[in-house]
Amino acid sequence: MLRFLIRRTIGALIILLILSAVCFFLFFAIPRDPARISCGEKCTPENLELIRRSLGLDDPVPVQYWNFLSGIFTGRSYPTGDCPAPCLGRSFVHDENVLSLIQDRFPTTLSLTIGAAVVFLVFGIGAGMIAAWRRGTPVDKFVSGSSLVIGSLQIYFIGPLVLWALVYSTGIFSDPKYNPFTENPWQWAVGLILPWMVLATIFGSNYTRMVRSTMIEQLQEEHVRTAKAKGMSGPTVFFRYAWRGALIPVVTIFGIDLGTLLGGAIITEFTFSLPGLGNLSIASVFKADLPVLMGVLLFSSTMIILMNVLVDAAYAFIDPRVRLS
Amino acid sequence: MTSPSEAAPTGSEPTTLEPVKAEGGDGQGTADHIGKSPGQLMWQRFKRDRAGVISAYVVGFFVLIAICAPLISKLYGKSPYTLYNSATGKPELFDPLGYPVKPNGGISGEFWFGLEPILGRDVFTLLIYSIRTSLAIAVAVTILTVGIGVLLGVAAGFTGGRTDTLIGRFTDLMLAFPSQLFFVAFMPVITTIFVAPEDATPTWLRVAVLIGVLAALGWMRMARIVRGVALAMREREFVEAAKVSGASNWRIIRKEMLPNLVTPILVQGTFELPLVVTSAAGLSFLGVGLVNPTPDWGLMFSRAADVSETVPTFMFFPGIAMVIFVVAFNLLGDSVRDAFDPKAAR
Repeated sequence: MLRFLIRRTIGALIILLILSAVCFFLFFAIPRDPARISCGEKCTPENLELIRRSLGLDDPVPVQYWNFLSGIFTGRSYPTGDCPAPCLGRSFVHDENVLSLIQDRFPTTLSLTIGAAVVFLVFGIGAGMIAAWRRGTPVDKFVSGSSLVIGSLQIYFIGPLVLWALVYSTGIFSDPKYNPFTENPWQWAVGLILPWMVLATIFGSNYTRMVRSTMIEQLQEEHVRTAKAKGMSGPTVFFRYAWRGALIPVVTIFGIDLGTLLGGAIITEFTFSLPGLGNLSIASVFKADLPVLMGVLLFSSTMIILMNVLVDAAYAFIDPRVRLS
Repeated sequence: MTSPSEAAPTGSEPTTLEPVKAEGGDGQGTADHIGKSPGQLMWQRFKRDRAGVISAYVVGFFVLIAICAPLISKLYGKSPYTLYNSATGKPELFDPLGYPVKPNGGISGEFWFGLEPILGRDVFTLLIYSIRTSLAIAVAVTILTVGIGVLLGVAAGFTGGRTDTLIGRFTDLMLAFPSQLFFVAFMPVITTIFVAPEDATPTWLRVAVLIGVLAALGWMRMARIVRGVALAMREREFVEAAKVSGASNWRIIRKEMLPNLVTPILVQGTFELPLVVTSAAGLSFLGVGLVNPTPDWGLMFSRAADVSETVPTFMFFPGIAMVIFVVAFNLLGDSVRDAFDPKAAR
């Protein structure tokens, strides 16, 4: 197990290294003049010079990349301020270190992800199980049909729709807002309930369809049939035997979804104006804040890769047949 | 593990396909299966699938709208570029803030779907032209992803060995990119290669960059599927026979493999196309894709979100059209897959 984790971690680090190099190259080597892009519409020569110096654009790109990498371990100092290790760069738009910006925004994204994940796991998997349990009945047809339609909805459609129906015209909910969990858990949940629902609708239907089809398949497996023949009760067979086998695809997709969401649910955060990582990256795109974009990209990729490793490790616990090789 | 083809009714998760069964409906042979090509058998099964046939008509309807958009708007007598909120248009239909005066977003006998707030375009023509733009972009991206996917997939699956490992690793690397963030971050950066920051970006360039960025991060699933099929086919008798009879690699790929790859590509392509449409629309929604006044599906959603408080009617036209579009494509994809591989039927 330990060897497996070490090996996967090394592999993940190599992927991250290549990925960061690709991103860095695309950001700082391909554009004609990164400083000019970052300077915006009203660019003064002094600002341009400052940006050029703080990005270190006078150095060749490989040197810049090396400075970026070594900054992660040793920290860097910029003309506008110091950046202690681990330093992911410094934003000249915000006049702040990239890492502290990410730390500032991450709680919102984390809250959004956790809440939505709870909702879509419970309802998505639950609906899938009910459909499999009542296979072929009108219940099953209703669940399958509605999950197909719901899965085809887009956040940029139902987000504004929900806002209009539940906030603007009826006032049942107030405008979604992020309140820190540590300050007031109730306000935290109330402020985020709409984004959770919207995210969960989009993601949940996927789980419903998957759980339904794998459960149906599992219920026809031999070990399940044996358990039934031995006289075990329906629920025991359903949850102890069939469900365990259906868990693996769920874990796989859940890992992917979690990794993607933790890197910033861009469209959701944008629709509900939540100050998370996704909104940070959108704002950085419009301000051409390349260091922040670089930092967020690296952070999001780390999340995706981390989740991949965790999913692989989780297989071994769920399914004894899966050997870590 | 379960068979992924059963677990993936829509294209939202990676769909792998069973290798092509050259013998088609082998194993369930009734008398009328004799003497029919796999393609004929597939068509026969598809025709019996009612949901599939209906969704095929719906998809066809959307394609027809996209192709005939100029004709339809000519018959309807309006253009998606006419700004009715200007002095030359019909400014009496708008209030000072630019919202339509009439209820329900200005729906009337003259403007069937109402008028767009702010710019004041006719929503009906705007929608059909938006579908046209989105479909054109999606088709271009899908063709590119099929091209890249087949090239890399066949190269990996047919040659095997070190090439296979290398391409596999590259595919994995590309899959580790946070794709949505990548699209958002690189759209402007790539655009600056071609345009100086002071200049305005021409529309054709925006479209080209959008297509390029979407294709650059969209080919991986296709490549994996093609690789799987190619790998399985390499061991098949008809490929070995071709090899023994002295056919060149190029000939084997072209004459023996490609015909068998058409169906999996078709199925995967049907799943991918709506995904491309929705992610391209998402980019325009976020403001990094196309920009007004180009008619675009995502831009309609962006406008709808801005005015949802005052003119909620506007969001329903692009929204419902997109739901129907995506559902039809997903159902069609399911039916084509089931027809081509009956064992995968749920």
